[in-house]
Amino acid sequence: MAAMNIIALDTELVTLTTNGAVATLTLNRPDARNALSLEMIAAMEEALGKIESGLDAIRVMVLAGAGKGFCAGMDLKAVQDDPILMGDMLRRLAAISRRIRRLEVPTIARVQGAAIGGGCGLMVVCDFSFTHPEAKLGYPEVDLGICPAVVAPFLVKRIGAGRARAMLLAGGTMAGEAGFDAGLATHLVPMDELESATTAFAERLTKGGPEAIAATKQWLNELDGSLDDAQLSKGAEISAELIQTEDAQARLRTLFKR
Amino acid sequence: MPETNDTSASVVIHFDAPIATIVLNDPDRRNAMSHALFDDLEGCLDRVGAATDSGSCHVLRIRGEGPAFCAGFDLGAMADGALPSFLERLGAICRRLRHLDAVVVAEVHGPALAGGCALVSACDIVHAGPDAAFGYPVHRLGISPAVSLATLVPGTSPGAARALTLSGEFLDAEAAVDVGLAAAAHPDRDALENAVTILCDRLGAMDAATLHATKRFQNELDGTVDPGVFTKSLAASLATADSEEFQLRIDAVMTKKRAAEGRG
Repeated sequence: MAAMNIIALDTELVTLTTNGAVATLTLNRPDARNALSLEMIAAMEEALGKIESGLDAIRVMVLAGAGKGFCAGMDLKAVQDDPILMGDMLRRLAAISRRIRRLEVPTIARVQGAAIGGGCGLMVVCDFSFTHPEAKLGYPEVDLGICPAVVAPFLVKRIGAGRARAMLLAGGTMAGEAGFDAGLATHLVPMDELESATTAFAERLTKGGPEAIAATKQWLNELDGSLDDAQLSKGAEISAELIQTEDAQARLRTLFKR
Repeated sequence: MPETNDTSASVVIHFDAPIATIVLNDPDRRNAMSHALFDDLEGCLDRVGAATDSGSCHVLRIRGEGPAFCAGFDLGAMADGALPSFLERLGAICRRLRHLDAVVVAEVHGPALAGGCALVSACDIVHAGPDAAFGYPVHRLGISPAVSLATLVPGTSPGAARALTLSGEFLDAEAAVDVGLAAAAHPDRDALENAVTILCDRLGAMDAATLHATKRFQNELDGTVDPGVFTKSLAASLATADSEEFQLRIDAVMTKKRAAEGRG
């Protein structure tokens, strides 16, 4: 097996490693359950740029989280006085989701802990999602007065419009097993086998013909509307607009005070 | 203060802001869609629409009284020529439910068949009980269930909707969850009622504008924002609604029914 290489980044909030043809992008803000702060978003943008420009050697990307949580979603508390900035973060998260979706190589989310809101969105935008029965998944946005329009397009593509409608409007979270049953994850394995199962699956994917896989993924993206920039941007605009309203801001202030 | 209409009507509405509850209330006829039931249902939806517009309602719960949720169109009325107007009224109601800003929750404890299943498919979140059954046993009458497809296809999947509307077979609660028509199946009626109450209370506590924006974008993503989808669905059902075939079949069914009831 090839040795692990660390790709240098300007930040420690995300780590990027390669092991043979498998690149692993790890969200590395464990103290905050990898919540997506402005800095985290910038770090992801940088790491994705490295992957996009180094695709010749990479056949698979694994998206992982360091520590207990996979990703707790948007870190809105850090920018609580700046609703305009919140909107910008939502737009940038939407752009990141789009870039992950359109990577030429297959992507696998390795979800070892909570994947909430935007974090669950990152899980679902990947081609494959591995998790375990005790993980925590879901979209509690509406509970907080936030509109999950950024994540909605890819959720609809993953689980269908009817299920997505019920899930996003009801809010809340669920255990990994229920999430798998609902179609959020493509693979459910015992917790202590998550890493080995994901690695074995990633290794298998590296054996496929890269051109065939890229063409297949591109065609699937075209079929399911993943290339529809207008729709994806609209999702970001809807979320951004709503989060800037006085009602939403008042709800968030109450939430942050808890 | 909770507010209710005439509780003897065939559809009863009850407001407990921000939750409105519509009860299909013709249990002896399994809540079949009759002229009266359509009249009352449309009237109730008018009130829900007004309450939603004025900001006093953002959750609508729909349930049925008696053994069935809704058995579909009333056969007697159809035999008397009501089918085209029933299809139009059903199509319009499905569209209104989908375009209503309030989140619509269906509590399906018993059979929801044909028009009843169409109604369910237009709701946002569906919970089903142990006696629920979903399906379109209408081809034998010479009726096309196409009016339902505007919401059934995006609500389930193209394959599942195709099988359900063409086969005439029924789905139970678990199977409805499997195809995405229902969000949850419950083991008994109390569990169903409790779960829907908890869900509606949770939705009621949420921010109305957030839910509206989320629902509207869902409509956009799945195509149901387009009134044309509803028009086309309806037109496909209407295309065979005044056929001789339908009249022969419905007359035969009614003759049999009256004979069975000893009035033949």
